[in-house]
Amino acid sequence: MIISGQESAEKWEVQLRKGCLELAILAVLWGGKLYGLEILRRLESDSDLIVSEGTVYPLLSRLKALGLLKSEWVESDQGHPRKYYALTSVGRERATTMAAIWTRFSSSMGKLLAPLGKEK
Amino acid sequence: MTSEVQQQVDEYLDRLRENLRGLQADDIREIVEELRSHILDKAAAGGQATAAGVAAALSALGSPERLASEYVTDSLLAQAEVSRTPWRIFDALFRWASLSVAGFVVLLGSMVGYFLGAVFTLCAVLKPFHPHTAGLWLIPDPANDLQISLRLGFEGPPMGGREVLGWWIVPIGLVAGCLMVIVTTSFCSWCVRQYRRSHLLPRG
Repeated sequence: MIISGQESAEKWEVQLRKGCLELAILAVLWGGKLYGLEILRRLESDSDLIVSEGTVYPLLSRLKALGLLKSEWVESDQGHPRKYYALTSVGRERATTMAAIWTRFSSSMGKLLAPLGKEK
Repeated sequence: MTSEVQQQVDEYLDRLRENLRGLQADDIREIVEELRSHILDKAAAGGQATAAGVAAALSALGSPERLASEYVTDSLLAQAEVSRTPWRIFDALFRWASLSVAGFVVLLGSMVGYFLGAVFTLCAVLKPFHPHTAGLWLIPDPANDLQISLRLGFEGPPMGGREVLGWWIVPIGLVAGCLMVIVTTSFCSWCVRQYRRSHLLPRG
């Protein structure tokens, strides 16, 4: 099967966005605790990531199992409790490391890709 | 919220709960309550939860079966990674095998490993009860080759066969059997660990 250039570029983009999701969640929680829907809304508004809800909740639970996040239930004025997530110290450390890798990587990729933009 | 809307939410969460079987009871409760809270918040954006709001929230979450499988698969593989009990590992491998060819191959490999381990151990254990027939045999086959065969001693001695290890099959069989099980278990845990590393990111 031959995949068209456009199609494979789209697939690559999907993988790229997915790869960033873990870091994006850690980054969103950097400022303090948030519950699932708030995390989703922040991801939608502040990042270019297209996030499916069915992906984010299991990922949150996975990050918690890995010890990067902790959670607590807080009563809401809506009449039901909400599960808030916050970074653990390990999570903060991981976020810092990942952010440093990201910055280094994107700046070197930026340099590498600079001539491509000029040719247009 | 009307009882009809409530029923819609309960039905979704019941199906989810059903498919989360295999996880710890506390984890299931927590997942279900978190998603209930999500559905209610999302459906009630800016006021009372409406039937249309709930329907939209549920469809955004996707089918409860798929959602549950995201939770269960990772949890089972996480258990298998640290577990040293073959049935836990089998449970995780069966699920992994249903998801990918790699999982299926590892499952087959683990079956062969555990089977060989069991046969070696059984052969060693049965030797005292069938001293003349249980053991490791070299048997000539029609092509004039020799076949190596582990016999448990339930049949008579093989035609023209020669027993190789004698009573040594007892210590050797026990050690080889245990080693097979340990090596297979470690190999499976290693594969699961590699798989989880490469799939830490959610599946599409």
